[in-house]
Amino acid sequence: MDNSQRMNKADFITSLLLTFFGLGVFILSLRMPTFKEVGANPYSAPGIVPSALGFILFILGIILLIRSISRKGYQIQLSLNGFLFLYRKQSTIRFLIALFLSIIYVFLLGKVNYFILTYFYIFLFILFYEFNFKKKIILQKKVVIYAVLEATIIASCIAFVFQYLFLVRLP
Amino acid sequence: MLPGILELGNQLSQFLTPKYILDILWSVQLGIIVGMLPGLTATMGVALMTTLTYKYATDRAVLILICMYVGAIYGGSRTAILINIPGTPANAATTVDGYPLAKQGRAGEAMGIATTGSFLGSLFGMLMLAIFTPLLGNFALKFFSFEYFWLTIFGIVICGTLTAPKDPLKGWISGFFGLFVATIGMEGMHAYRRFTFGNVDLSGGISLLPAMIGIFGFSEILIVMKRPIIEVVESKIEKVIPHPAEILAYWGTIVRSGIIGTIIGAIPGVGEDIGAWVSYDFAKKASKHPEEYGKGSLEGLMAAETGNNAAVGGAIIPVLSLAVPGSAPAAVLLGAMLIHGIRPGPLLMIENPEFIYQVVAMLLLASCAMFVLGLLFIKTFIKILLIPPQRLMPVVFSLCVIGAYALSSRIFDIWVMAVFGIIGYAMKEMDYPVAPAVLGIILGDLLDKNLRRSLILTKGNIIPLFIRPISFILVLFIFFTIVSQTKLFKKIWESLMRSKKK
Repeated sequence: MDNSQRMNKADFITSLLLTFFGLGVFILSLRMPTFKEVGANPYSAPGIVPSALGFILFILGIILLIRSISRKGYQIQLSLNGFLFLYRKQSTIRFLIALFLSIIYVFLLGKVNYFILTYFYIFLFILFYEFNFKKKIILQKKVVIYAVLEATIIASCIAFVFQYLFLVRLP
Repeated sequence: MLPGILELGNQLSQFLTPKYILDILWSVQLGIIVGMLPGLTATMGVALMTTLTYKYATDRAVLILICMYVGAIYGGSRTAILINIPGTPANAATTVDGYPLAKQGRAGEAMGIATTGSFLGSLFGMLMLAIFTPLLGNFALKFFSFEYFWLTIFGIVICGTLTAPKDPLKGWISGFFGLFVATIGMEGMHAYRRFTFGNVDLSGGISLLPAMIGIFGFSEILIVMKRPIIEVVESKIEKVIPHPAEILAYWGTIVRSGIIGTIIGAIPGVGEDIGAWVSYDFAKKASKHPEEYGKGSLEGLMAAETGNNAAVGGAIIPVLSLAVPGSAPAAVLLGAMLIHGIRPGPLLMIENPEFIYQVVAMLLLASCAMFVLGLLFIKTFIKILLIPPQRLMPVVFSLCVIGAYALSSRIFDIWVMAVFGIIGYAMKEMDYPVAPAVLGIILGDLLDKNLRRSLILTKGNIIPLFIRPISFILVLFIFFTIVSQTKLFKKIWESLMRSKKK
């Protein structure tokens, strides 16, 4: 499957989402109050601009949908093998590791001490990409030592520099 | 003209103190490093520095941001030349001839030309900023709400068209999505909470800086980590400083690229990357040796780097005169100016005209520092490129978190950064340009207030929105920009060109 075919399929899915999104925004905007009962000018109603934007997004979504249909983007063949192939690709794994670690870091901010959390984030980030879990730890001690050192230095530097030099509160 | 030159001299002398010179040097050097590193963009660098310089005096903060901006746009040329990956999108055109030169063992020569081109482009943009900002600002005093409404629509449409030339429909979708994001939260006329679904944090709306840090920072981190390991070209870096005769030989290219870069930079939301590409294209068409382009042409490299740095000055012109950003980093600069109590826009000419000369002086000093530091420390800082991304990107993400949190101290802003990072990643994977979305977030409030004001003034009659002279011209521009992208128009245009050739 070449890139343009993949893009046509992706466009088909996003055009459906966009069309429904635009329609949803339009309907929600029309239901917003106009404050006529308190003497407000009807043209100052909060829903005017979002309803126009929702309508424009709906129209753009329809255009994209028609275009993707004309390019046969609706021919989506979902299969388990296809999913497994995608998730086993090195680039997908690298992406998911970065995403997962970063989201967990954000989730724990404010709940765990900043220095400890940042330390573990940097340490685990380096480890997941450089450590070979099939080999013994002793053979990869340089990787572990480097990860510990960088995590300690960076976490302390960020905490110190931003708190005491730039006077920024840490999460 | 003489009072202007005297005022510029006065502003320059204020910045020539040890404290300011140190600020200029470290912020330009930091900008060069930020620009060099894939995963860090000029926008992110300026956004992070905005939150960190929040407590500084206005002139010092704006000076640091402009130095970071100039340094970062130039800094990306190094990675573009050495590893064929632009450090910032503005340096994408630099890879076309820069990397082949590095493979020929002429990396030093390429970097010298890139540095000189960036310096001259920056000076050109600064000159245009000094001349055209007051002119445009005075013209903008004639704008009312009708004209501002159409200006925002025009900005979105032209930005969408130029940042997605192969598929402008996606550019427009991105732009209007950004405009929608700006409507989330408490609106300005009745304090009604739109699209908050009862969430208190959303009542304050989506803050620009966290969203920008997410779209430009976190999404870039995800893209960098997805890539395989990058090989750095082992090229001896010699002969960095170019001979003046070499530079003079390209004077036509420099002037042409300076003009093009400044004009492109001044178009809302378009930015330095388009400035570089259009300058490169025109240089190739005008060149006596177009066959050398793509194979290591110094002229092509000069055109790209002059164009992208000229766009910096160009992008600041609408910031100061219209309060509309010419590029993403300029958008952050605009936000920073507002945070520090400056009101960019037509009234700046009346309330604070010396600020324009301050910005011109800052740009001049930043350009000079960029030129000196760029030539002096090429060999030293190249070693930073050897840092593997898995050791650098977690540091960058930690800085993104601080940058998003620092302004308002809200964990919610960190989540905004994360969510917009994922949205930005998805958009880039599906070939949607992110610049129109960011421009939409910035211009959304302007569009909202001015459309409603216009309708109130005309009591719902939309005809005056179209018939006022400046509005009519803007409507025509929007119409032709959209129509020119249709297949029918392209067919008619091609047949007209063919019949003209015959």
